[in-house]
Amino acid sequence: MSTTITVREPAGPATPTGGPAAPARKKKNRSSTTRKTFGDWMILLVAILIGLLIAVPFFLILINSFKSPADYNAAGPLTLPTDLYFDGMVNFWERVNFPEKLWNSFFISSVVAILAVAISLLNAFALGIGRVRGRTWIVLLILLANMLPQEVLLYPLYFMFKTVGLYDNQWAVIIIFVVIQSAFGTYLLASVLGTFPKEILEAASLDGASRWTILYRVVYPITKPTLSVLIIFFFIWTWNEFLIPLTFLVSNASQTVPVSIAVLQGDRLMDVTTTSASALLGLLPTLIFFLIFQRTLTRGITAGAVK
Amino acid sequence: MKKTKRSLAGIAVLGVSALLLSGCSAGGSGGGDDNTLKLWHFESETSAMGIAWDEAIKVFEEETGATVEFEEKSFEQIRSTASQVLNSNEAPDILEYNKGNATAGLLASQGLLSDLDDDYAEYGWDDALAPSLQTTARYDEDGIMGSGAFYGVPNYGEFVEMYYNKDMFAAAGLEVPTTVAELETVMKAFTDQGITPLAESAAEYPLGQLWYQLALSKADRSFVDDYQLYSGDVDWSGPELTYATETIKDWTDAGYISTDASGFKAEDAGTAFINGTYPIFFSGSWWHNRFTTEATGFDWGTFLFPEAEMSPGSAGNMWVIPEKAKNKDLAAQFIDITMRPEIQALIGNNGGIPVAANTEDITDPKSQELIGNFNTLTERDGIAFYPDWPTATFYDELNAGLQELINDTKSPAEVNEQLGGQYQSGVDDIVG
Repeated sequence: MSTTITVREPAGPATPTGGPAAPARKKKNRSSTTRKTFGDWMILLVAILIGLLIAVPFFLILINSFKSPADYNAAGPLTLPTDLYFDGMVNFWERVNFPEKLWNSFFISSVVAILAVAISLLNAFALGIGRVRGRTWIVLLILLANMLPQEVLLYPLYFMFKTVGLYDNQWAVIIIFVVIQSAFGTYLLASVLGTFPKEILEAASLDGASRWTILYRVVYPITKPTLSVLIIFFFIWTWNEFLIPLTFLVSNASQTVPVSIAVLQGDRLMDVTTTSASALLGLLPTLIFFLIFQRTLTRGITAGAVK
Repeated sequence: MKKTKRSLAGIAVLGVSALLLSGCSAGGSGGGDDNTLKLWHFESETSAMGIAWDEAIKVFEEETGATVEFEEKSFEQIRSTASQVLNSNEAPDILEYNKGNATAGLLASQGLLSDLDDDYAEYGWDDALAPSLQTTARYDEDGIMGSGAFYGVPNYGEFVEMYYNKDMFAAAGLEVPTTVAELETVMKAFTDQGITPLAESAAEYPLGQLWYQLALSKADRSFVDDYQLYSGDVDWSGPELTYATETIKDWTDAGYISTDASGFKAEDAGTAFINGTYPIFFSGSWWHNRFTTEATGFDWGTFLFPEAEMSPGSAGNMWVIPEKAKNKDLAAQFIDITMRPEIQALIGNNGGIPVAANTEDITDPKSQELIGNFNTLTERDGIAFYPDWPTATFYDELNAGLQELINDTKSPAEVNEQLGGQYQSGVDDIVG
């Protein structure tokens, strides 16, 4: 429905809203950089150390991805590779038909992220702004989807989806994760919208806005930064899910990236270098996705500010 | 506001395009007509079984005119989702599945696997398989292996043997030991040079298998039947298990096993053997192929554990036919092709252990040695299964017990008492 609008509108309007806020912040930053105390440096140092510590597993994956098995056996996992070795990555790519898995993961994760955010917003609008009676209990009930371990959900879900004929179908996974992710989204957004400024809502009603218009014209633009953060979270969480995709995606052609990585783990033997290479391949798309959306996210925050 | 509409539109476009494009990726089931065999296994295409079964698929397609719809699955996927898939219409016609009470036995007792007794009679598979290899193919109505109907057909075997570094033995002037006393002399010689002789791992299966091997060297078949098939009580203070636990303790004290082993995984022990840190590694035939391709810095050989009639080992994972399979006859025909000498020889010549090969078809010398050891074992009825099989939790319990033993936090008698209690309570749950 909104596709037609896009064609007419140019990208302009973002600047005026971003304009006044940006210089003020810059001035503040500049004054603090000039007066860095010893304490500031220490905090920076500690932050860098913690950052490095968090990045250690990633570095290990990175260096072992390009190591030949012989090199790994001789020197172990902690040394740098002697030569760059790409066979592990190429083998994995071809063995599991990686582009197909990449598309499956991308498709499932993006549909889940979008639908889950949409449902979260609708739920939260009812619970947070509509102030439904007993909303705490409703939120708690919805949150059960998140609180129950997935192992518990597995068998009931299996029987349900088998009965409706969606077993071995990507839509089963999509439906499950839309529910699970939107449970968290509803919880978070309902508390955000619970503190939504009443004056704005009243002003909108006085102007004769219907509930739908309030949601679409007032609440949605203002909560957009939160929504984009949720989209990123839902995308990455869904991307990394293993157990439910493993159970519900029986055919190789419908499987996701984490499920295909499991092919490399045998009964008793494992192939560390190829496993690292596959982990790197599985991780890169989420990293790229995050970096791309990180930019629109910061832009979204300035654009959505309440003035 | 305008900006908002634009990005909303962007998201909507993304969503719609994803929905449209889904047509080509979702679904993908189908099959199930009379002339298609839906086949799953989890061997990589370069492994011995992968190569042999690939050939079997070609032979099968030529001879029957049917098409094989093959999918390579992950071990993990088959392990954790089999009971659900086999109970649905997505079940394949034939798949490779794990042997054992908790896996094939459980599915057989739930009625998810086809009874293969008629096929065994028709194709004569029981003549091709040694008795100790048939144990893991038959399950009773409670899903306990060893008796009852046939539910699977193993294609390959596995067992545990000694791998040794010939170069390190030669440098120290040592010979392959033929008795336990000689083995201890060899290990002493290495320790005197400052080399720990045994590559071990107590965090995973290797040390447990050595422990079980030591018990087997004092045991007979009836001990194995008691321990594995619950046909009688196991005496945890008897000669077999006392000897096993005490010997592990003695060897650790003498420095033959490093106390560091308590934190090592099987992978660590294996790579340490490959890079020449340790001269001896007691582990399974599943390493054979990897050592052939990766342990290229030195010459290595194998021998069976000295002075023992039996060793840990079993038939490998096996072909099973789901009860919901649509083409059971084709599946049985396919299994029969995999049992033919020429397919079995392919397994043998690529580093696997065939169960029904003609020995003269095996040409690779390293494989001859491996298969020779295996045949020696099966001929003397020496396949004794694995120590962790009796109960679902015994793998972790045994590893924990042996870690405490080599860390010196518990005495051998205490370890045996603890393991005995855990073993018995697990068995009581199964036998009832």
